[in-house]
Amino acid sequence: MHNELKITDMQTLESNKNTTKESTDENSLNLPDFTTDSYKDAYSRINAIVIEGEQEAHDNYISIATLIPNELEELTKLAKMELKHKRGFTACGRNLGVEADMVFAKKFFSKLHGNFQIALEKGNLTTCLLIQAILIEAFAISAYHVYIRVADPFAKKITQGVVKDEYLHLNYGQEWLKENLSTCKEELMEANKVNLPLIKKMLDEVAEDASVLAMDREELMEEFMIAYQDTLLEIGLDNREIARMAMAAIV
Amino acid sequence: MFGLIGHSTSFEDAKRKASMLGFDHIADGDLDVWCTAPPQLVENVEVKSATGISIEGSYIDSCFVPEMLSRFKTARRKVLNAMELAQKKGINITALGGFTSIIFENFNLLQHKQIRNTSLEWERFTTGNTHTAWVICRQLEINAPRVGIDLKKATVAVIGATGDIGSAVCRWLINKTGISELLMVARQQEPLALLQKELDGGTIITLDEALPQADIVVWVASMPKTIEIDTDKLKKPCLMIDGGYPKNLDEKFQGENIHVLKGGIVEFFNDIGWNMMELAEMQNPQREMFACFAEAMILEFEKCHTNFSWGRNNISLEKMEFIGAASLKHGFSAIGLDKHPKVLTV
Repeated sequence: MHNELKITDMQTLESNKNTTKESTDENSLNLPDFTTDSYKDAYSRINAIVIEGEQEAHDNYISIATLIPNELEELTKLAKMELKHKRGFTACGRNLGVEADMVFAKKFFSKLHGNFQIALEKGNLTTCLLIQAILIEAFAISAYHVYIRVADPFAKKITQGVVKDEYLHLNYGQEWLKENLSTCKEELMEANKVNLPLIKKMLDEVAEDASVLAMDREELMEEFMIAYQDTLLEIGLDNREIARMAMAAIV
Repeated sequence: MFGLIGHSTSFEDAKRKASMLGFDHIADGDLDVWCTAPPQLVENVEVKSATGISIEGSYIDSCFVPEMLSRFKTARRKVLNAMELAQKKGINITALGGFTSIIFENFNLLQHKQIRNTSLEWERFTTGNTHTAWVICRQLEINAPRVGIDLKKATVAVIGATGDIGSAVCRWLINKTGISELLMVARQQEPLALLQKELDGGTIITLDEALPQADIVVWVASMPKTIEIDTDKLKKPCLMIDGGYPKNLDEKFQGENIHVLKGGIVEFFNDIGWNMMELAEMQNPQREMFACFAEAMILEFEKCHTNFSWGRNNISLEKMEFIGAASLKHGFSAIGLDKHPKVLTV
């Protein structure tokens, strides 16, 4: 029968071949000038945020271990990775001759940091995990993905390595929340309501500096929403629940 | 698994549908919120072919709306993110619907293979253009005689002749139908000359010259909103096949003995229990769909997991015959004029 025609006889992937040859890494053509004062100025704050973020992540995982002592070993391992990342990003700043504005960075994280500390004192593990292992990790992953496309070659390599690790961290929080969803859902919703708007504010706060680094605010927000939505789906929430949770980001 | 990547026809429409589906956060959001919204897997469905084979599929809304066309980066991200989602869900073959394939083609998204941790596998995607082209040709062959046009004597104009679908339609018309004359209209002259050479036939002509001569006009270019057409100068009867996207021809051509047919739409032999085509504003949403979507289903029915329609000007007659035969076998038919009798406004 004619219809039994072999697909292998027909061109399918052929059309790709030519185009791939021509393809260039478009982003490499649009890289910012890493040596300008304005780039370095913006970098001093963004770089500081990343360094501070990695330090706080380390501290937070150690703190979380006090709430689940049998996870101490695993959490210490994760925490150590964050310190390694911190060293990597410190090197990125040094490489560009930029001094990180750590005062700015501490202030940048202060509200979220405060909320984490309150949850920790109350022993609210779900909230602690949502803040550190989900929100901050998703925020970091999305920002790193966007940054990789426009980073200087040195920072690009380091950031690529970091992203791989951060997925492990996101995964850690995700797995715990998934297993305990039936008992932690309410707290998760509440913690989202309080903390997701902070993430949005933090993003708005760095949008201008990020744009100097050729990172688009809209793209950062979208990447974050994708990472966050993916995680919440994995945890076992349905589309409508996620939609309700995401609402907190736009009010 | 087959997949369909679609989008709403306008921003207002998208908000209404999001609200219906319970996605309140984006339903209430402005266009900026939509620009940052992740793609959504809206629905899963099981479809049974006329041969009895069952397949499963998903509908993904890319959260793209035509209002984003002017935002190049946004449009690009919407398409790539929806494709990444389809691949992550393990879907074998996904059709790029509506503007999605146009964006993919025009913005040359082939160079964006790496999306976060996913390396897009092009063989999992199809533009669906082969099936669309075949369906348009079949609609032409079946419906022309019904309105009193003898194909053997007919002059057919293809508007947008150098596009992927347009060139395939020209190829088919010249080789398979025995029409009297083929008029080819396109904006760019160089590819038009190449096509003429390849076909060893067809007349290159302007739109204004073509319309009064044509018994049948196949539109596969989206028509500029500003275009004014004097329907008095058209031949009567005249068959217009609206194969472009979005479909807006019937607003332009109203009059006695002018027959406008929605091109590239197929009907399935059975009701499909889905909501997605209601969103695509089909007249019989349980059965009707874009032919490009149907192509993903057909390829899944045939276990033909390859990017069947891909790139530009790769649609051969052989491929059209294959997809056409499979289309009929599994229970699809091209919609005709009698499906939606034209109501003349007086």
